[in-house]
Amino acid sequence: MDKALADFVEMLRYSDVPVSISESVDAAETVRLFGYKDRGLLKVALAQVMAKTIEEHENFDRCFDEFFSYNIDPDLAPGAQAEDTAEDSPPSPENGETPPEGSDPNNDPASANPVSGGGEGGGGLSGEQSQGASAASLLVMLERNDRTELTLAMTAAANAVNLRNIVLMTQRGLFTRRIMESMGLEEVNREIFRRRKEGDEDGADGLAGRLEILFDSVRDLVDRQLAFTSSGKAKQFRQDILKNVRLSAVEHRDFKYMRDLVRRMAKRLTDLNSRVRKVKNRGHLDIRKTMRRNVAYDGILFETHWKQKHKDRPKVLAICDVSGSVASVARFLLLFLYSLNEVLPKVRSFAFSGDLGEITGEFDRLGPEEAIPLAIDKYGGRSTDYGRALEDFKELCFDDIDNRTTVIFLGDGRSNGADPRIDILKEIKQRAKRVIWLNPERKSIWGSGDSEMLRIAPYCTKAETCNSLNKLELVIRDLLKSS
Amino acid sequence: MTFIDKDPTTAIDLIKDGFETAGYICDRHIATSIYLSQKLDKPILVEGPPGVGKTELAKAASEILGAPLIRLQCYEGLDESKALYEWKYGKQLLYTQILKEKLGDLLEDAVGLEQSMDKLHQFGDSFYSEKFLEARPLLQALKSEVKTVLLIDEIDKSDHEFEAYLLEILSDYQISVPEIGTIKAKTKPLVFLTSNNTREMSDALKRRCLHLYIPFPDAALERRIIQTRVPELEENLRNQLVSFVQQLRTQDLKKLPAVSETIDWARTLLLLHAEKLDTDLVRNTLNMLLKFEEDIDNMHSEVPKFIAAAQKEVR
Repeated sequence: MDKALADFVEMLRYSDVPVSISESVDAAETVRLFGYKDRGLLKVALAQVMAKTIEEHENFDRCFDEFFSYNIDPDLAPGAQAEDTAEDSPPSPENGETPPEGSDPNNDPASANPVSGGGEGGGGLSGEQSQGASAASLLVMLERNDRTELTLAMTAAANAVNLRNIVLMTQRGLFTRRIMESMGLEEVNREIFRRRKEGDEDGADGLAGRLEILFDSVRDLVDRQLAFTSSGKAKQFRQDILKNVRLSAVEHRDFKYMRDLVRRMAKRLTDLNSRVRKVKNRGHLDIRKTMRRNVAYDGILFETHWKQKHKDRPKVLAICDVSGSVASVARFLLLFLYSLNEVLPKVRSFAFSGDLGEITGEFDRLGPEEAIPLAIDKYGGRSTDYGRALEDFKELCFDDIDNRTTVIFLGDGRSNGADPRIDILKEIKQRAKRVIWLNPERKSIWGSGDSEMLRIAPYCTKAETCNSLNKLELVIRDLLKSS
Repeated sequence: MTFIDKDPTTAIDLIKDGFETAGYICDRHIATSIYLSQKLDKPILVEGPPGVGKTELAKAASEILGAPLIRLQCYEGLDESKALYEWKYGKQLLYTQILKEKLGDLLEDAVGLEQSMDKLHQFGDSFYSEKFLEARPLLQALKSEVKTVLLIDEIDKSDHEFEAYLLEILSDYQISVPEIGTIKAKTKPLVFLTSNNTREMSDALKRRCLHLYIPFPDAALERRIIQTRVPELEENLRNQLVSFVQQLRTQDLKKLPAVSETIDWARTLLLLHAEKLDTDLVRNTLNMLLKFEEDIDNMHSEVPKFIAAAQKEVR
């Protein structure tokens, strides 16, 4: 695989297009078939090999355009074109051969000079040329104005200094300088200095002008590399951070990211879980397996095998505190509840601060952007009363709780001095398979002030601190594993 | 196939022309993926909204390649006995019966149990042999002497487990039957998998396929499709009709009209001898395009506006 494709693959991976190794092998084969000439066709072909969903196709298109627009030709030509209009732009050797009619007299010596200057320089530097081939060639390349050669040298230098590792804005200057140095900046500077000393101002200016243009394209190269490595890396960085940051500290603008994360997490968890199956003794007879088992009995069907399988999924009742004291995390707890509701068929969700009410219907009907604020509006804002909430809960669905039910409480256990009705919790625990209490507060402050956690905890199968997505995931994974 | 050794651009143009003669108008994306799938020996996973011609694509491909089409319609509960292979149980049972009867003759001269067993082992075990194997679509495609086009339709309707069965076929064009061993494809079939995206395919499956997304066609392409499919329809009306449908697709509908619906509508208008779109005609035939009562009600009032725009555009 060539370097350009490898870079492109890496860029895709940072941009949410997970290109696997086998896919990149296919991509290399595709490039071999199509070549880089017809970019449009190559784009169409590569997209099918590397991007596997509609979203990935969008990302792919964007990356492809960005990557291949990445025209790192050090464009010395505009200088030549511009010369027709602007007289003080750097001269190029081609112009010397066909001077524009009626051009400024200054132009002629200027365009003739670099050629002779190059000759002199080449002679004078022959000793050095043999020492460092690449260093000497920059000067020659600049004199020759060979764009292809310069581009190649530039890319090689960029590789030599590991430009791919650039992450931060502030590294731009450093990398530009390093690339230029690796290409042989020093020697060109010396040559310019020498020419000035010898009074060859025009020659020196010409060279300096071209060097400046080269500088610009190297800067451009660095900028583009920065643009596409850092955008991807920055996103990944952000997601990693979000997973660990305290839920209460997550900013509102990150809500969208969180939603993706939470969704993916809930999906992964239930995917793991939904594969638990039990073979049942009724349903359709599985002829294939039955015959197979009974071959040993001469085809007489002693052992039967049935097709129907039972998917074992936990029944979950989740109760979320949306009062003022947990306002900052309620959004995310509800978000998680919402995602759980999406992926598990038997989740009933409740919210409370004073009164408790069921919000399963809203969750089913509306998107999370609407349903979550609605739930907070409807049940939030009042002062927490765990006692009342538990009473309401008991009334609403105590009969639904059986030995397969998991009851999850999301709340800080601060009841504003009201009786938390531990007795109801005890009853629930006796009936349910298990009761899990997830508290956004650290364990060290449980029981302080109006927190009833120390009284609550003994009546829960599990009471845990849960203040980041990672913690949440751990707890829920435990829950599903043991179900 | 004639295109396979040509350079990509020529080959892709050839494929496009081939599809056109088969009555399937396709763009460069589709032609490219056919070319790539032949070159890289990869199945094509075709996704897109219903009615954009995913299944048609496989049919057309089978026509232009002159390869028979083997189709497997997926549904929930589809298992390997219906998709891959099944043992012919009845025959197997008969075989054991016959074997029992013949056993006496076969073991006539054997002395003692041990010798009998030795003798029995010499006959070779044909109980689980290809003779008793009933080939289902996937195995048929692999065993075929000539190249086939294998269409695995609506793969998203099948279960996760079924996807896993497919992986071996999709990557290596072979099936492992535990009792027999591995059956390899004689000629690699061209495989199409179609999906309406009702559920996400697993990464393992996606990784093995080329991914082709067929969106709703743009106006120019749709005009050409209608021209090919309903050639009797007069040009002016065709353009109006396509423009109308294109406008309809910009609306917030439960189900957007697809190409197949446009074709149906074009046929309807032809039957009704319509010369141009007018409000009553469109309102009465709107149920050809829209499949939900709610959508039809919502669009009722918009019809004159769309017709005016369509007529203006055509002029």
